Amino acid sequence: MSRMAPLNPRRRRFLAAWAAALVLGTAAYALADGAWRALPHPAPLEELSYYPSGKFVEPATLGHATTAADLAWLRAVQYYGAHRTTDNQYRRMGQVFDILTTLDPTFLPAYVFGAFALAQEGGDFSAAEQLMHKGLAANPASGELAFKLGFLYYVRPGGRDLKHAAEYFEQASRQPDGPPESARFAAFARQNCGDLTVAYELWSRVERTSSNRYLQDMARKEMECIRAALAHGRRELAVRRLTTPAVLILKQP
Amino acid sequence: MIPLLIAQNTFREATRDRVVAGVGVAGIALLALTQLAAPLALGEGHRLTVDLGLTGISVLGLLVILLVGTSLVAKEVERRTIYNLLSRPITRPAYLVGKWAGLSAALWAVALLLGCALWALLAVRGAGGHGWAVLEGVYLAGLELTVITALAVMFSALSTPVLSALYTLGFYVVGQWSYDLRLFAAKLPKPLESLLGVIANLVPNLPLFNMRALAAEGHPTSGLHLALATLYALVYVACVLCLATAAFESKDFK
Repeated sequence: MSRMAPLNPRRRRFLAAWAAALVLGTAAYALADGAWRALPHPAPLEELSYYPSGKFVEPATLGHATTAADLAWLRAVQYYGAHRTTDNQYRRMGQVFDILTTLDPTFLPAYVFGAFALAQEGGDFSAAEQLMHKGLAANPASGELAFKLGFLYYVRPGGRDLKHAAEYFEQASRQPDGPPESARFAAFARQNCGDLTVAYELWSRVERTSSNRYLQDMARKEMECIRAALAHGRRELAVRRLTTPAVLILKQP
Repeated sequence: MIPLLIAQNTFREATRDRVVAGVGVAGIALLALTQLAAPLALGEGHRLTVDLGLTGISVLGLLVILLVGTSLVAKEVERRTIYNLLSRPITRPAYLVGKWAGLSAALWAVALLLGCALWALLAVRGAGGHGWAVLEGVYLAGLELTVITALAVMFSALSTPVLSALYTLGFYVVGQWSYDLRLFAAKLPKPLESLLGVIANLVPNLPLFNMRALAAEGHPTSGLHLALATLYALVYVACVLCLATAAFESKDFK
């Protein structure tokens, strides 16, 4: 049997280095895994929420504010999901969405998601309202956003705000991208907050403009109901007593 | 002894580099800027100063690594000074370890300088109590830079400066996302979860060196965190330098 040729020093160092790297790599792998399990993890979103406002963060993005908003959006959704499944605490969510929407004022889903999360889970309706108004100020031609703001008022936890809901449903119905049901929602809200004359006008507009015959039937029925209520001087005949939506007043412990 | 001599030379060379001096000045300017922004912070000025100060150390350190570290070995190969070095009784591992140690020392010096400036600023602003947390934050930032330097030296020994910088930056980004990668993996089917888990453990776990959220509140971290971070940095650096050695040993300079 022939003896193996001795390795030259370079080859020996090469093999030794690979062996050491393998051993050390395994150790580093185990340490990384152990550290992940043993230590609390940093929460980058909380760091983001330290900043006073998006106006301060924006210059720091060096012209990439939209990208920063997208990354902040990913973080915000993660934050919401994580807290929803754990402690249900959303202490800094309002500020986070404020930063996000300042970085990208046209990010409509952020206003809507942030507002409904703030109102529903965060229990902070005024912050939700503020966020939506900020969105509408930045996107005044958005019928979609106006409709969602109307809807936010419509399902306000603790009691519907039909007057404001109707106002924004009407605004949505005047915009080209407003959902087709905006006019119907506006009429319904006006009618049920007791504003029968305006409600009648809105229903008559639905009746005139809608191509859906069921909707036209519904509008005619409501107009008849309002006419009767006004003729008898009994407004309650046309006004329904709406309850607070249960889904929104549910608060997890 | 030889790695120490190489480290001394590398340290001297790095600290004389305009990039390092510029980074020091930029760090001080950043701290001054935080004071302009502090009145807007609705009472959270100290938090802002600590957070931005520590982020500055980390980001400016990365900049030094990308501009200086990634060309450490390649520059010597290009200038052919490496032939003079390796023709002497200097082994390649000693050369690489010396290069890494020298640049790491320069980065530690920058981190300490900016850390001291941050602490002094906080003391002047009446938040001297944050001192211990800031010290720990600076220490962890230094460890993070040490790990990235090892990666930069490894890529520098293998590739051109531009490619080394890109690889190092890539590892830095993936390293920063390693914890997110694990969280994301938990939502995927089992085989994919395991695969992503393995990748997350293999890339440098840089969030381990991030205690900015705690330091911003003035809270120090646990001894276990510091010990694990130190041990992890040492082992990871050693592993990367071994890989760099293996790659460098197989390289022929003709």
